[in-house]
Amino acid sequence: MSVPVLSQPTMTRPANGPTVRQRLEKLGLAILVIVICGITFFPIYWMLVTTVQSTKLTLRYPPRLWPQEFSLSAFQEIFEKEPVARWILNSIYLSGMTTAICVVLAIFGGYAISALRWRGRGLFAIFLLMTQMLPEALIIVPIFKIFTDFPIIHQDVRNNLFALALIDAAFILPICVWVMKNMFDTIPVEVREAALVDGAGPIRTLFQIVMPIALPGVVAVGVVAFFYAWNEFLFAQTMIMDKDLKPASVGLAGMITMLDTPVQLLLAAGVLFAIPPVVFYIAMQRYIVAGISAGAVKG
Amino acid sequence: MSVVASSQSVPAERSRPVSRRRFSFLPYLFAIPILIYEGIFVLYPIYEGIKSSFYTQANLGTPPIWVGLANYRRLMHDDFFWKSVKQTFLFMGGVIFVSIAFGLLSAVVLNRAFFGRSAARGIVTLPWAFPDVPAVLIFIWMLNPQFGVMNVFANWLPWVDQNPKWLLDPELALISLILITAWKGFPFYSLVILAALQTVPNELTEAARVDGASRWQAFRAVTFPYITPTLMLLVVLASIFAFKQFTIIWLMTGGGPAGATETIVIRVYQTAFRFYDFSYAATIGVAGFLIVLTISIIFLYIQRRQELEGGRV
Repeated sequence: MSVPVLSQPTMTRPANGPTVRQRLEKLGLAILVIVICGITFFPIYWMLVTTVQSTKLTLRYPPRLWPQEFSLSAFQEIFEKEPVARWILNSIYLSGMTTAICVVLAIFGGYAISALRWRGRGLFAIFLLMTQMLPEALIIVPIFKIFTDFPIIHQDVRNNLFALALIDAAFILPICVWVMKNMFDTIPVEVREAALVDGAGPIRTLFQIVMPIALPGVVAVGVVAFFYAWNEFLFAQTMIMDKDLKPASVGLAGMITMLDTPVQLLLAAGVLFAIPPVVFYIAMQRYIVAGISAGAVKG
Repeated sequence: MSVVASSQSVPAERSRPVSRRRFSFLPYLFAIPILIYEGIFVLYPIYEGIKSSFYTQANLGTPPIWVGLANYRRLMHDDFFWKSVKQTFLFMGGVIFVSIAFGLLSAVVLNRAFFGRSAARGIVTLPWAFPDVPAVLIFIWMLNPQFGVMNVFANWLPWVDQNPKWLLDPELALISLILITAWKGFPFYSLVILAALQTVPNELTEAARVDGASRWQAFRAVTFPYITPTLMLLVVLASIFAFKQFTIIWLMTGGGPAGATETIVIRVYQTAFRFYDFSYAATIGVAGFLIVLTISIIFLYIQRRQELEGGRV
């Protein structure tokens, strides 16, 4: 994996400066870094390059590997050509609802696993983990059937963004509970015990003492849930047929088959859609990496 | 509220910090909403799916007819299904290999100190944060047989003399999907492996180096065994994520060309929403569910064993 293959050790070590071997190692490392970052970043780079050029340049083969002109008109045109604003509003509503459901339930669930002792705690945790492994596509058929005639209320709840938020939340909630549990785990037992000694009941302890400390966990849960619903495609595609209710992921995917849309417009819409999650994840990178190190797992 | 006041007004045991033996409804009160919620949206659909695999239903409106194991007998002799099983495992194997190998390579590199390391880490994290649908847009454009930039790179290879057909070529389509899925997935593995690498005690690798081992030998003999449990866990996780993959495959190829990229989840979706054969789709779903369940049990087993060994994840 690392560099030494390039050179056999030269044991002559001059008193001043690094050896040849060390220099070669440094060079090899630099090349590896550039290759890895290049492969990783190129697709995103290419998206941006295409977006800022006009049709004349995007439909030229072979393409130039660097931008020949810089124009943001694609972003303007896409709003005129497609109801992108409508899609994004739908996505915000959908993601907001999903987030609200997940935050509330994850606080209680995470607290129950982390701080309280009860029979069935381990089983509950494993149950949550198992639901996470279930591919959404395998139960889309029964969910679709259930939603065409929802039990008890007997209504067709397809084409209903709130109902869609309910399924989205069901599939990301287990991770949210785990994130919240990991957050509660970091709070020393003494904090809770002190509150209980002072006469606060368990619910007051949770909301007045523990929650303020656990606020970063709530933010993390919010981000995870929000962007799960933001990105989710399968359920949205299956449940939402009304074109006024389409969330952005479905609207965007629908544009793939529209051959008359210039590619830079299509990619401009993609850039708009990708910006929020990318910005958030980069801003929160430190916490995410810390969370991963602590063993949290994102689906 | 002072301690004295509260101990006067309530029985003495109340003032003891958390009494662990006394039965409390509270945890159940906290957990039950989640159980009901997941019950409605996950367990009940699984039950409905299993149930409808024993029925046949001409249309969504018509009453289902009990057919016993007929759907499963059909599944046993369904070449399309078995082909999708094969494609699923090919796809999973490819994604696991590429994403974990690249994740390991990048983690080892990012674990070294160099100028601009945090920027490099940021770049490596990007694809993970990148949503599926825009990612699909990029790659469809890059793989466009006429204008796609990948043609330029392909033509750099000495044995390529014309633009490849990319997604229209069965083998290239599968390879492309594997690489795209791996591109989306590897940052996560890279970050997890990086976290594991940072738990490897420096003294161990340094001792090996002092004893004359090359960097590669030190890695193979010291570091690699140390992070093997993490890698095993990631292999299982990657197989689950690859098995679940729907959006990228569906939007890039829809399972084509000629079923070359049709995995089990795509087959389920096709059967239900293209052929409107809902009960048979549910049957394929049950078969897929059993495969995932097996993988999940392996996952839990590995994780439990590592916890018992006090291992790191």
